[in-house]
Amino acid sequence: MKSKKKDITVTLISTGVALIFLLPIVWMIFTSFKELGESLSTSSLIPKSWTIENYTSIFGADADAPILTWLMNTAIVTTAGTALVVFVDVLAAYTLARLNLPGKKIFLSIVVGALTIPGIVTLFPAFFLFREVGYLDTYAPLILPYSAGTMGVFLIYNFLRDFPRDLEEAAIIDGANLWHILRHVIMPTIKPVVATLTVITFLAIYNDFLWPSLVTSSDDMKTATVGLANLIQGSNFVNPGKMMASTVVATVPALIIFIFANKYFVRSVTNTGIK
Amino acid sequence: MKKVLLSTLLVGSLFLAACGNGSGGGNANETEDGKVQITFLNGFTGGDGGYMKKITDGFNESQDEYLVEEVQDKDHYTKFKTGDYDLVVIHANNLETYKQDGMIQDINPLMEQAGLSIGDFHEAAENLVTFDDGTYGIPLDIHPLTAFYNKQLSPEAPENYEDLVALTEELQSQDPNLYAAGVPNAGLVEYYIMTAAIQNNIELLDGNHLNFAQEELADALMVYHDMVWKDNISPAGLGLDGEFQAFMKQVEEGNTGVQTAVALTGPWYYQAVSETYGEDLGITSMPQIGDEPGVYGGSHTIALPSSVTDEKEMEAISAFVEYMYQPENLANWAESGQAPLHTATLDLIAEDPEKYPLANENAKQFDTVTGAPQVYQFGEQMRYMIENVFSMLVTEENLTKEDLMAELQIATDNAQQIADTAPEQ
Amino acid sequence: MKISKIWSTVMYLPFFICFVLFWAIPVFYGIYISLHEWSLFGGNGGFVGLENYITVLSGDNMFSVSFYRGLENTLVFVGFSVIPLVLVSLGLALLVNNIPKKLKVFFRTTFFISYAVSVTAVSAIFKWLFTGNGGYINNVLNTLNIAPLNWLNEQPYAWITILIATVWWTIGYNMILFINALDEVDYNLYEAAGLDGANWWKKFRYVTFPSIKGVFIFVLMTTIIASFNLYGQTLLITAGGPQQSTQSLIMVIQQVVFSQNNLGIGTTMAVIMGVIMMVITGAQYWYAYRKD
Repeated sequence: MKSKKKDITVTLISTGVALIFLLPIVWMIFTSFKELGESLSTSSLIPKSWTIENYTSIFGADADAPILTWLMNTAIVTTAGTALVVFVDVLAAYTLARLNLPGKKIFLSIVVGALTIPGIVTLFPAFFLFREVGYLDTYAPLILPYSAGTMGVFLIYNFLRDFPRDLEEAAIIDGANLWHILRHVIMPTIKPVVATLTVITFLAIYNDFLWPSLVTSSDDMKTATVGLANLIQGSNFVNPGKMMASTVVATVPALIIFIFANKYFVRSVTNTGIK
Repeated sequence: MKKVLLSTLLVGSLFLAACGNGSGGGNANETEDGKVQITFLNGFTGGDGGYMKKITDGFNESQDEYLVEEVQDKDHYTKFKTGDYDLVVIHANNLETYKQDGMIQDINPLMEQAGLSIGDFHEAAENLVTFDDGTYGIPLDIHPLTAFYNKQLSPEAPENYEDLVALTEELQSQDPNLYAAGVPNAGLVEYYIMTAAIQNNIELLDGNHLNFAQEELADALMVYHDMVWKDNISPAGLGLDGEFQAFMKQVEEGNTGVQTAVALTGPWYYQAVSETYGEDLGITSMPQIGDEPGVYGGSHTIALPSSVTDEKEMEAISAFVEYMYQPENLANWAESGQAPLHTATLDLIAEDPEKYPLANENAKQFDTVTGAPQVYQFGEQMRYMIENVFSMLVTEENLTKEDLMAELQIATDNAQQIADTAPEQ
Repeated sequence: MKISKIWSTVMYLPFFICFVLFWAIPVFYGIYISLHEWSLFGGNGGFVGLENYITVLSGDNMFSVSFYRGLENTLVFVGFSVIPLVLVSLGLALLVNNIPKKLKVFFRTTFFISYAVSVTAVSAIFKWLFTGNGGYINNVLNTLNIAPLNWLNEQPYAWITILIATVWWTIGYNMILFINALDEVDYNLYEAAGLDGANWWKKFRYVTFPSIKGVFIFVLMTTIIASFNLYGQTLLITAGGPQQSTQSLIMVIQQVVFSQNNLGIGTTMAVIMGVIMMVITGAQYWYAYRKD
């Protein structure tokens, strides 16, 4: 039985660690309210004189960067990319696990083999192929390539393989068609692993940096991560206050989503398939 | 069952259609309302980007035949190498490279079309943009190493090494965290290395590559080592862009920071320093720390990609260039702090030193400024010097000239290997 | 109802097309490029066999020198980052697991949200926090009577800064995986194993760890792969410095392709890097599952 004393100790340690963890975010927020001179000349945490100028200049008429467009792009790319990955992976994994696909064994070993080959190998060739067909700086290269990953197929396949077929067979006897089986039997079954895949894919696309920085060039197509890199090395690099304001604007939407959605993440990132 | 198939196909094709709005290359692009559209690529993501934007916006509003779409990107060279653009800003020290790689074309016909000739520019410009077989860039500006100083700490502008030594002694007696001028280990070091070579009259160009393995260069560079470790002019351990950051610091209780009175830095920091120091800001030329006066300057030029051949497009580009080089328009660029090479614009801004203090100050350096030698892949040939040698120079207290010479030899070997990859041998 | 081969194929097709277009073709195209002299501008300059591989591996030219430097830097980072990245996240998970129920959600969220910050934002924050000249961290150290350090341009501090930034950024993700695994540990096993009165370490060693071993190996492997792919942090925090010591292999490859315009050599480096990573992950699979 846990004792009160232990609870208090653990809570105190956690609070300490949490304070250290939050420090960079707190520092970012405070710095974003500093004036140019102060943000460069001193390093106290709390601003001596507060200003919202860094924020007004981001959203003002003469703003040098369309941060909201970048956030929108990030939203589009992560959502569409994740949806695509889940769609193709569920169908493929179901086919491999249950249906009568010619050459199934070969496909299965390709899926497993491809797991070990890292992304760097495909990065530059894929870039030049997209250039060849004239699709750089569009949504296509930002969304489509993620669908080639075999991790999702592998996870769902493993899950289904260990799962009894009774329900499906019952449904087939009842005369259900393929669509019905997928929709009402398979989907509810694989829900946890699909949720895991959704989360892993969403985070991977959201945090990708090198690939989107290669394939985008115009301001309208940049994702938040790429655009922010441009600001950090560009117009904001002399001005930590403004840099942090841009960073806050680019980060806060994701922070809010994370805070509200993290309980789903926790529930969904089950170990099924990973074990 | 068919529904599944159909909807799968439908979703898939919709998806591809939504993603694909790739631009067709080749001929002149036209906008929906019939304007000829050209793309203008540059790397002005710094404080100066807004001023260039004023010029392009102004052009787009001034007429309704053409539309300039400006693309600003930190890695604009990478974008240029892999994309399709109609007009590109290229640093003068890269013209040789892009010319040899066949990426840019002789721009003389375009200049003529736009009513410009090399005679319209300050004489420092000609060397930067002309080659045996033509002119490869329209000169825009020169940005030499610039000295900003804080009048509170240094009432007089420092003119030479002795002034810096005297200044630092004076400041150190007030507060040990005050110094004369910072030497960083990364950032603007290309300017520091080249200025040392120029002020000591050292010829780096040796055939097709840069030769750093020269006793004279080692001596010249040791000055930066001495500034940090012998004469205490600069604090030790300044990192990337440290010369600027130290200039902006405030020495105070409980703060570990060091502050300098002078920043030997790039003119693009002008907005930040003038906003902070206002009346206390002094601007002057690079102090003489070698045998003779002189300074290294980078230079922006406007180049025409080889892919541009369409006549309509050329007309649009020349109209834009003509507009940009009207003194009242190019003055916008001078307002950002950049010193334009266009003579008529120089005359215009000279009338208003209050509005264009930095551009005017830097125009004074035009007579002593020297650009980079024209070699293939200048930046890559310099890389080892910039990333390794200079950093070693200012961070290793016990560095000897022999150590330095060994490093300069490695840098030269690298430069030679880079030069050997040039298409024109 | 027997589902036909045609339907099976149709359902497999979307993934298969994506896989071929965005994985198989690029992989083979990459290998093809690596066997040719290939410049960014000039394009294919002819078949050269394994010459690019010899150039990259031989050690006597600038490409090779930069390849080995990038590889060494990357291996250094993998070597010293993986243990803290895995152990700290496991430690946090154990901590969160022991927190009273009411506070659990709060702390779990706190430790997880840094993963919502993109690598560019993380870099911007840590670059300024750790600035050597009067930065915030140095000021805090100063009040603790510790002399300021040159975090960003002196080794080993530059690596330590990048490690701290990486730990802060990515740890929440691994922590969540561990928390899930810990939730499923059957605590009746403590009694069954006769360890009820045993100390904390024994319980962990004999009950907890064996139950989460699968997740532990998964986290270990993904962390090694992630550390190998080091790019954003070193690019934006230290720019590869001081003296190219934090220049990662991906940064080197990027430079060879886009600054030195040598797509042939750059792609060769990428293929070699891929092979090295395959060998390492393969060895781990073998080691982890050899008993099964």
